[in-house]
Formats: sequence, structure tokens, C-alpha cells
Amino acid sequence: MLDVQNLSMTIMIEDAAVPILRDVSLQVAAGESIGLVGESGSGKSMTLRSILRIEPENATVSGRITLDGLDVHSLRGEALRRMRATDVAMIAQNPHAVLNPVLPVERYLIEGMHDAQGVPRRQARLRAGELLEQVGIERIDLVLGSYPHQLSGGMLQRVVIAGAIAGEPKLLLADEPTTALDVTTQAEVMAILDECRRELGMAMLFVTHDLDLAASVCDRINVMKDGEIVERGVPEQLRDHPEHPYTRVLMESRPATVMWASNREAEVAHD
Amino acid sequence: MKALAKRLGPIGVGAAFIFAIVVVGALLAPLIAPYDPTIGSVTQRFQGPSLDHLFGTDQAGRDIFSRILWGARSSLVGPLIVVAVTGVLGTGIALTSVWWGGAVDSAISRVLDLLFAFPNLLLAMLAIAVFGPSLTTAALALSISYIPYTARVIRSMALRERNLAYVRSPQLQGISGAVITARHLVPNVAPLIITGATINFGFAMIEIAALSFLGLAVQPPLADWGLMVSNGQQSLLKGYPAESMLAGLFIVLTVASLGYIGERLGGRAAAGRRS
Amino acid sequence: MPLIFVVRRLAALIGVLIVSSFLVFAAMYAAPGSPENFLVQGRTVTPEVLAAIRKQYSLDDPFFVRFWNWFTNVLQGNFGQSLSNRQDVGDLLANRLPTTLTLVLLAAILIVVLGIALGVIGGLRDGVADKIIILGSNVGFAVPTFFAALILMSIFSVGLGWFPVFGSGVGVVDRIWHLTLPALALALPSLAVVARITRTAIREERHSEHAVMASARGVPARLVLGRHIIRNSMLPVSTVVGVHIAGLIAGAFVVEYAFTLDGIGTLLVNAVQKKDFAVVQAIAIILVAAFGIINLLVDLLYASIDPRVRLGAAR
Repeated sequence: MLDVQNLSMTIMIEDAAVPILRDVSLQVAAGESIGLVGESGSGKSMTLRSILRIEPENATVSGRITLDGLDVHSLRGEALRRMRATDVAMIAQNPHAVLNPVLPVERYLIEGMHDAQGVPRRQARLRAGELLEQVGIERIDLVLGSYPHQLSGGMLQRVVIAGAIAGEPKLLLADEPTTALDVTTQAEVMAILDECRRELGMAMLFVTHDLDLAASVCDRINVMKDGEIVERGVPEQLRDHPEHPYTRVLMESRPATVMWASNREAEVAHD
Repeated sequence: MKALAKRLGPIGVGAAFIFAIVVVGALLAPLIAPYDPTIGSVTQRFQGPSLDHLFGTDQAGRDIFSRILWGARSSLVGPLIVVAVTGVLGTGIALTSVWWGGAVDSAISRVLDLLFAFPNLLLAMLAIAVFGPSLTTAALALSISYIPYTARVIRSMALRERNLAYVRSPQLQGISGAVITARHLVPNVAPLIITGATINFGFAMIEIAALSFLGLAVQPPLADWGLMVSNGQQSLLKGYPAESMLAGLFIVLTVASLGYIGERLGGRAAAGRRS
Repeated sequence: MPLIFVVRRLAALIGVLIVSSFLVFAAMYAAPGSPENFLVQGRTVTPEVLAAIRKQYSLDDPFFVRFWNWFTNVLQGNFGQSLSNRQDVGDLLANRLPTTLTLVLLAAILIVVLGIALGVIGGLRDGVADKIIILGSNVGFAVPTFFAALILMSIFSVGLGWFPVFGSGVGVVDRIWHLTLPALALALPSLAVVARITRTAIREERHSEHAVMASARGVPARLVLGRHIIRNSMLPVSTVVGVHIAGLIAGAFVVEYAFTLDGIGTLLVNAVQKKDFAVVQAIAIILVAAFGIINLLVDLLYASIDPRVRLGAAR
């Protein structure tokens, strides 16, 4: 369904072209969950962003991305907007940045359904409540009327997940969806995401720095380093017989990444 | 020097050059001004530009070029007083506030809040009402009204610096507060003070020129750019715009140059202005 | 925003007003030279006449008594008599207020409408339009209001004859016509700053995660622009606009004087020159009050558009 062929990207930083991605190729079949694992700066997020055409303005992209045979980079205007609204949904790392801080949560959900997907406003409003129920939120009216800064990261990420599954897209792009969250809610949010995906039969491209986490939710995994995919395989194979030295490093550094993750959480909370 | 030029960028270097010319002109005015700026001749009224009178003459027959040169002096001295007094008092007050903390800090911030309640020009006009119009009164009153801006920035910066290890360690060793403050804090907040001064100089120049324009700061027959704009207003309406336009242009050039330099160095935040 | 916050701010403002009126009164009291000398204006008069004047203006009362009398009168709206022409200060102010208010209001509208519009254009367009707006805002900020007044006057009044040179006009339409150039001159430096701040804010919001993600969710570009980019960029802009509108109060003195408008500003300038302390005191208090009230309104407005301020930032 999703076919990324030889994707390369460079970004101009002060007159110098910095390579971000080199010949990245990967495929996601319908209903399949694919992992993209690497440390920060390895180009995982940029791969996801170029699928939705939201790469930085100063980036040059080459290669081919097709979605059910449709060339994503040839899409313009209304066609691109429709693809974004109905076919692919993204869950980004920091939900506090994704929701507009001056609008209540309800507006975020209605915007996605009414303004992007064309669902009548009334219907969108009713559906917003149902969606929150689906992602395990209990005090629905309270959450709908809240502003983003009043909710925890975990709660807010559930709202983002609810928004992402609202249009039942073919493909979910998840970019470190639990990294910015409190350690205690990480597992919960991950479980909800995985459950929703399976229930609705959506495919997922899951980006993380945590090989163990990827192994638990993905059918196949791509390991990425310095903008290139260095190893790919099924989780058991990567875990038990990693071939590339970097994959081994990722396996061994697991406790450290957990610590790193909790430091990140502290930073985000501080912000 | 090279690092500074790089930070300023090509336009910034040009701006610094313009400001330098104005300063040199002001310093050398007695040597290079061809005429006495205060004495004119009735037969020489409203002359156009010529080799004798580069910028022409005003309604009293005075040489405008000489008046611009001499005017640079009073136009620069006022803001210089403001920036110096504000810099010294603002920094002193901020450091006192940070050093003593507690009741001293809150008393000082109450007083600064009270100063914030008066628009700058209003405070200056009240001082002038009491002490009579003069450049010194105007400049000193404006200095006082600028103190809260400077003190606020320096205070928050110093508060951060104070908690850093290098300031704390000598404190533990028992060296007196004043010495520590002078040795460590002042050099570290100095760049901020200088950037703030650059920006405040421009603000002060415009506000003192405005007071001179109102007849409340520099007094005639002295040459001063703000006064010249006001003095030339009648001539301008009669079709002789040279005096007002040239004096105004020099104010704009000087303020714009300084503003650009300050912006490149650290922005208006360093002057404690929200904008 | 909790009501308690508003009440506390109002109380603080009242406190500031009381302390400032005391300080202003004390400063005038301590001014060198005795008030009766201003009154007789250099004429030689007999000691009896001087004594009569001192009695008429209660100059022999102790300082605190005089302050108390003045202060309680001000609270009742009685600002006393002008020392120079014996007119009631309250009447003088009432006659002058409409001109100043219209001037400040027109300038405020220009700052908000033009400043924000130019900033939005500069923030969204790259190329010539943006370059012109950056240059214009850099220079515009450096143009003193009194110089802008002269330039506008010489181009549009003397040169083209489109607007009157002096005076404030009678009736609403005529007044606006008379005050257009003065308002433009008064607004110019602030307009330049607001345009630049708006431009920066728009550029930042364009790249903000919530705007990018809204596009990525297929929200139409028009809605992303209005709902995410422009709306959110107004948060920093609103405080700057507020500071500048409050600042117009003082700037108005200079522009009124340049255009010889009969507003509060010209009255203050003349009163300062003549040492007419009754008028100076009254205007100072009114301006401090207006300045404080505008600043308070701006903070309330800011709170009303940013829920993080309104509802507290605690999660």
C-alpha cells in the first residue's frame, strides 16, 4: 500500500547542504505494522513527515513515495489535502505542541472531522464524544471543554489518537507517540493505540528509538542510522541475531534509553 | 573588531559608520563649522545651497550646515546623559535589589512600579514645570523614567548569575558582597548594559528632541536638531523646507542607525522594552 | 481570569493614583519660587495685596492641609482654578478632551488596522513586499512624531492641499478630517513597531507544530491561516499594541503642539511653560489614571484571548 523508494533528503543549513536521508526504501502493506527504529537525528521523523509532505521548507527531496499507486509528490492543492484528510493520519511526539493552545480540545476534534473531512458539524460533535470513549477517556464532557494546558500529556495524546482514527485512515504514522509522556502512562497509551489500530484494521508506520517497544507492536522492523536503513527483519530475528553492530548497540542500550526517555519527560514537563 | 563587524552585518557596519560621522562632526564642530551657528545676517535669509552655504540658510540668515554640526552636540549630549545616568543608577539599583533580596528587593520594585505609572514624557514635563525648561532638567528627568526598564532587565539577569557557582563560591569563602558583585556580576551583565544603552540612546534622542521641539529642553538661540525642526516649521509652510527637513533627517539617520545596531547586538529586550 | 485578580489590580491602580497625586502635589509645592509671584507676574504690588492673594489661594495653610483640600476637591471633580487665566480647570479640560480623545482613538485604529495588516502581509509573503515592509518599519520607528507631522503637513496640506494645516474642526466629520494627518503622525512609530512584531510572530506561527499538523490533517489552508497562524500570532502582538496605545497619551502632546490642536497636550505644554501648577497637576493625574486604565484593560484583554493566562498555567 505504502511504497517508499530511494527517498533522499538534504536540508540547506547556512549555505551547506546537509544530507538527512539517503536512499530510504520501505514498504507497508494494508493492515501491517512496520517499525522504524533509530536514535534521534537518524532521520526517522523526516521520513514520516515527507510522506505527508510536511518536510521543512528548506529541504530538497528526491525519490518516490506512492500510496496505493498514487505518487504523493505529484499531489497538489485539493488532491493533497484530501489525501491528508482521509488516507493518512499522523500522531506526533508532543501532543502539547500539536493542539492549538488557545482552542478547547473539542475544536481540535471537530476541525479534523468537519473542516478537513467534511463531516457535518453536528455529527462531528456527537462523534467527538464517542471517539474519546473509544480511547478510554472517562470524563468526556470535561475533557472536550478543556484547553490543552489543563490536560496531562497522556490524556492529550489519547485525544490526538482519537483525532487520528476519526476518519479511519488506511495508514497511521506514529512518531514516538509515547516518548514525551509520563513513564506510567506510556504503556497505557501504547496499548490504546495498538488496540485501535487492530480493531479498525489500519496499517501503521511506527517510529521509535526503543527497539523492544517496536518489537512488541510491529510485524517487521527497519533499523535506521544516519539517514540510512542499515538492517531490516522480523522482531525475533533482530532481537536474537542482530547483524548490524548498530542494532546490537540499540539492543544493549535499552536501559539507557529508558532513562533518556524519562529525562526527556522531565524536560517536556519543565517546558 | 572583525567579530563585531560580522555580528553587525553589512548594513550594521554602514549604520555604525553613519553614527561615527555624526559623533566626529559633533566633536569637531568648532573646528569645521564655517559660521557661528547663532549669528545670522538679514541680507542672507533663505539662501539655497551653495559653496558658501552648503545646506543654505534659515529665516534669520544663519548657516544651516554650521547649525547642523553644532546641533549634533546638544542632540547627542542629552541622550548621553540619559544613558549614563540610567546605566549607572539602573545597574546599581538592580544589583542592590538582587544582593539584599527580601524587603529591600520588594521595596525597590514598588518604587519602580510607581515610576512605570508615569509615561516618560509626562515625568519629564512635570520636572520641567518645577525646575524650568533646560536640557539638563529634561535629560535628568528622562533618565529617572528610564531606570525601571534598565533595572528590570539587569535584575533578572543578575538573579540568574547570582545562583551560578562562580558567584556563590567566594560568598562561601567569606569575601564581602560588594567585592563579589563588582568582580563577577558587573563584567557578566556588561554586554547587556551596553546593548540596552544603544537602544535607549535612540529613545532618549527622540524624546529630548520632542521636548526641545516643544520649547521645554534646549533653548534658542542654541543650535539643536529638535529645536531646528520646530524653528523651521514656519519657513517650511512658506516653502523653505531646508532647515526642518535636514535637522529631522539627521535625527532619523542617527536613531535608525543606533536602532539597527542595537537590534543586531541583542534586540530591544535588552533595553527592557516589551517592544 | 479570577475576579480577585481584577479587584487586586484595581486596588493597586488606586493606590498608585493616590501616591502619585501626593508626589505631584509635593513637587509643585516644593518648586523654587513662590506661587504668588507667578500670580502677580512681576508687577510690584503692596504687601496687603500679596497677603490677600495668599489668603485667596490658601497659600498660608500647612502643606498637609492644602494637599488634603486639593485631593478631596479632586475626588469631587473640582480641579480648582487656572492660575494664569482664572478659568475653572475642570471646564478647561472638558473643552479640550474631545480633540485629544479623537486623536488618540484615530491613531489607535491606525496602529491596529494598518500595523497588523502590514505585518501579516510581510509575514506571509517573501520577496519585494516583505523587504519594503522591513525597511519601512526600521525607518518608520526612527521618525519622531513631530517630524512626521511636519512632513505630512508639507506634503498633504501645503503641497497637495488635501487636508487643513491647523485646527481641530467642528462636528464629527470635520473633526476626523482635521485630525487624520495628526493621527497618522502620532501613529507612525508605533505602527512601524507593531508591523514588525506582527511579521515576526506570523513567521513563527507558520512553522509552529500545531499549524503544520493542522495542514497535515487536511485542514484547508484558509482555515489554517486564520485559525492557527493569525489568531495565535495575535497573542504577542496584543501586548505590544497595548503598550503602544498607552504610549500615545504622551505622544499626543507633541503632535497636538505641532498641528496647534486645542487638546489636553497643548494645554499641558502651555501650562508647563507658564508654571500654571493647577492645570499641570490636574492633567498629570488624569494622564496617570488613563495610562493605568489602558494598561489594565490590555492585560484583561490578553487574559481573555489566552486561556493559559485566564485559567492559570497549572496542569
